[in-house]
Amino acid sequence: MTVADERTTAPVAKTPPPVEPSRFSLKHPRSRIAWIRPAVWLPLVVMLVLLGGLWHWGAEQLPYLLPPLSDVGGSLSDELGYYVHNALVTLGEATAGLGMGFVGAFVLAVLTSELPLVRRAVMPIAVVLNVTPLVAVAPALVVAFGFGPMPKLIITGLICFFPILINTATGLRSVPQQVLQVYRTMDASRVELLWHVRVPHALPYLFAALRIVFPLSIIGAVVAEMSASGSTGGLGTAISVASSMNQLPVVYASILVLAVMGVLLLLAVTVVERRVLYWHDSNQD
Amino acid sequence: MDGSVKVTGTPALELRSVRRVYGFGSAATTALDDVHLTVPSGRFVSLIGPSGCGKSTLLRLVAGLEQPDLGEVLVHGVTPADACAAKMIGLVPQSPALLPWLSVLRNVTLPQKINRGAGRRRERIADFAERQAATVPDMKELLVKAGLGDALHKLPAQLSGGMRQRAAIVRAFGLQPDVLVMDEPFSALDEFTRESLQDQLLDLWEELRTTVLFVTHSVSEAVRLSDTVVVMAPNPGRIVESIDVDLPRPRGERLFGERRFHEYEDLVRERLRRAWSSEAA
Ligand SMILES: Nc1ncnc2c1ncn2[C@@H]1O[C@H](COP(=O)(O)OP(=O)(O)OP(=O)(O)O)[C@@H](O)[C@H]1O
Ligand SMILES: [Mg+2]
Repeated sequence: MTVADERTTAPVAKTPPPVEPSRFSLKHPRSRIAWIRPAVWLPLVVMLVLLGGLWHWGAEQLPYLLPPLSDVGGSLSDELGYYVHNALVTLGEATAGLGMGFVGAFVLAVLTSELPLVRRAVMPIAVVLNVTPLVAVAPALVVAFGFGPMPKLIITGLICFFPILINTATGLRSVPQQVLQVYRTMDASRVELLWHVRVPHALPYLFAALRIVFPLSIIGAVVAEMSASGSTGGLGTAISVASSMNQLPVVYASILVLAVMGVLLLLAVTVVERRVLYWHDSNQD
Repeated sequence: MDGSVKVTGTPALELRSVRRVYGFGSAATTALDDVHLTVPSGRFVSLIGPSGCGKSTLLRLVAGLEQPDLGEVLVHGVTPADACAAKMIGLVPQSPALLPWLSVLRNVTLPQKINRGAGRRRERIADFAERQAATVPDMKELLVKAGLGDALHKLPAQLSGGMRQRAAIVRAFGLQPDVLVMDEPFSALDEFTRESLQDQLLDLWEELRTTVLFVTHSVSEAVRLSDTVVVMAPNPGRIVESIDVDLPRPRGERLFGERRFHEYEDLVRERLRRAWSSEAA
């Protein structure tokens, strides 16, 4: 070893025993500690109190539009079982549809990235359908498939399908040229390249799609439930039944449960993303 | 023009009347025209020349990433495609091209998991016995030798640019390639880092003695590293001169003070200037 390089480390014997890297070694704990400081949480709390006051005032002025918050809370605590049951029904439809959409979209994304012919046939259509509000198909699907779970799975699956397809396909194909060249000179097979290079590279793109698609899947399930007026369960059904009977507290309690569900799903995606994408820029602060 | 020295056995690299044209009709660019180059096994050859003279194109042809439109490229007597299938070629591109989700160690060991049948194909290719037997090298040891002993389990994002480029070089050496092709691997680094990386490259190379084809824009880098400096000219891309650098090895820092070193630099610079003016003409 030449002396000229002062970056060179000591000879073999002196190197410390290898340690497994902490999976979160790139992350600073700053974001979590920050919540202790009032300057961080106070604005949000003040805003919530203000909104609560506004709601209270609105409920007095427009009793047919807004129920008093206390009624909403009362409905929630009195009939918690009812809400939990319906939430689980909706959640089941949303995640099952999303799962189906995910599998289909991922497989098709791999096909489009490997076969230019498939790509040219599929991608232009996918791009158009991705910006089409597919929830609008829900009523038609209900007419075609009845009140069972089928139209709900189809609509959520369909809504999730195109964002996942487009993002994953983009990720699979955006591996830098020079990386590909390195592995091409080793004559890596397509499968090796997919498994070791393209799929890991596409994961950040996939997670970006999942963040969009998880809330969408709930919207899809709710709209499908609302369109099928004879459905037996789900928060969408609860909302349409309650509003037809003018039970405003139930309507808003259901909406609140939906919002909480959406937040929890997004949180779950974030937790998984942090574990899987420990190496990615998005997790460096 | 011919970069050959007296050759015994199959040369590591052989380009015969190679031509490469991009585009068609009036938009066509002749990136390489009538290129002959013979490189005996174990030599360190640099390509230098003005931008656009086809250096990268020549490397891509050798690495089997593109086909010539005319002529023939042979690596140890077989086509680049066959050489790649036998994992005889190591590529170090301009950017380190590491996989950001793998630690340094796993980045440099990944090639061992890829194309596992290459070993058998490599044995079947002629004059294999003359070259070293390809045992699996200890990648940790290579990394330590390259000064990355403390970085084995770090992610590429946690390394400096110079360290990343070293990891990329170790990855290529880890293949124990018969031919190592490098396209301006140090061009993005500051001068100090660049010199220390040249040192380390030479150290590794002295040990493994593979044939190297090295593209650079730096005259002193070319002279310092190479047995032969090949000067190229653009429009159309071609080889105008190949200069054998007859300086003793190992070539440490002392070399920079020596007159012969600077004479070689001046010689290469003068040939480069001619290549430039031929373009202007
Ligand atoms: N993929 C391509 N498509 C079209 N033209 C190309 C392509 N690659 C290279 N060329 C052209 O071929 C010529 C040689 O390019 P090349 O990249 O080999 O030059 P170079 O010597 O490596 O230049 P530099 O020193 O700037 O890297 C240039 O005129 C370039 O425009
Ligand atoms: Mg180039």
